[in-house]
Amino acid sequence: MKRLLLVLLLLLSGCSAQAATEDGPLLVAAASDLGPAFTELGQVFEQETGRAVTFTFGSSGQLSQQIVNGAPFEVFASASATFVDDVVKAGQADAATVADYALGRIVVWSRGDTGPQASLADLVQPRFRRIAVANPEHAPYGVAAVEALQGAGVYDRVQSRLVYGENVSDTLRLASSGNADVAIVALSLATVEDGGRFTEVPAAAHRPLRQSLVVTAEQGRAQAAEDFAELVVSEPGRAVLARYGFAPPEG
Amino acid sequence: MDWFPLLLSLRVASLATLMAAVLGIGGAYLLAKGRFPGRGLLEAVASLPIVLPPTVLGYYLLVVLGARSPVGRAWESVFGGPLVFSVTGAVVAATVSALPFCLRTARAAIEQVDPRVEAAARTLGLPEWRVALQVTLPLARRGVIAGVALGFARALGDFGATVMVAGNIPGRTQTMPIAVYDAVQAGDDARAGTLALILAVVAVAVLLLVNRFSRAGV
Repeated sequence: MKRLLLVLLLLLSGCSAQAATEDGPLLVAAASDLGPAFTELGQVFEQETGRAVTFTFGSSGQLSQQIVNGAPFEVFASASATFVDDVVKAGQADAATVADYALGRIVVWSRGDTGPQASLADLVQPRFRRIAVANPEHAPYGVAAVEALQGAGVYDRVQSRLVYGENVSDTLRLASSGNADVAIVALSLATVEDGGRFTEVPAAAHRPLRQSLVVTAEQGRAQAAEDFAELVVSEPGRAVLARYGFAPPEG
Repeated sequence: MDWFPLLLSLRVASLATLMAAVLGIGGAYLLAKGRFPGRGLLEAVASLPIVLPPTVLGYYLLVVLGARSPVGRAWESVFGGPLVFSVTGAVVAATVSALPFCLRTARAAIEQVDPRVEAAARTLGLPEWRVALQVTLPLARRGVIAGVALGFARALGDFGATVMVAGNIPGRTQTMPIAVYDAVQAGDDARAGTLALILAVVAVAVLLLVNRFSRAGV
């Protein structure tokens, strides 16, 4: 028993987690459609400023809730302007730093080995037994997917076959693992996913996915966060986003 | 290979087990020996983490301890940083998850101790707290240790409550189960598989160790 306690004490003392310091990595909460694109931007940022970036990807709704509840993220990049507003209203962000940085596009994605490529209208076919969309309760891409299905006049016929992913990246995972036959996901994820094919859904099929960001760092510690936000909306930043399939923001 | 999630998981689970053991064994003794109103209710509430889905548990903890709650505000004014989305938050989540396993198992073991032995100790003049520490708990040690081991296993594996209360911040609050989830989400099957295997091996190793110590120590 004494030896067990010794082992326990060694564990507790031996591996203290790194404390949060101002020199620590910049903490960025980003919608999961940004995974591949922001990982690249993070490398650019690190080369330019010497400061590392740590990303937490998730659904915009969940991330905004975490920030409202006190999560220590310094930049919040949402897939929808609504959730940025929530964070600003809760007093967790500087409204002056809100900026639209891109428009998101959706695609119908399926594995390359599961029959012909599908469009929205094709989803009524019985071969699509499970159709994955992001949870529209808190994921903007889920809202866009539902709007596009409604616009195509097929929502009522496919509704019973919809399965929800936690966020848009999880949604793609449902289909890429073969557990759903098809998924409606972000173009920015489809462009880098191996082993699949996709049909772009016209941008007019849903309300614009206004990707918006805001600096959520504490005052006086926001410099690096502002620098990162600037990089995202800069010309080089937009060029990176465009390569993954993001359209430039309106106006 | 980034070892941070594994080290963090071991640290969080150890601290949480320590706290759950102290609270759980104390609570178990109180429930087994005490006769006070609300005893049944207390036990039911302490057992909630077994019944509730971990995410619901995490949500409740977030509401009670979050930055906007009275507890969260008080914590922040004393310690200068929020309780949630920190390692401390992860420890609290894991402690609450592990507590009922320590408590229920220890309580059953304490109730099985022959009351005549305790009575004999009392007739020899031992005060009640020494009867508890020197007679009852040593006799109940097998069950108590089993409960603590179960609690550790539960704390090490917690995902739902931890991800709600501590978030998923790589290098800060990303524990092993959350790192596995993150790797799956990112489509990195190789990393997910490696991490899952390491977690399983560590969990089995720790439990074997505990079993061995609990037998050797008896």
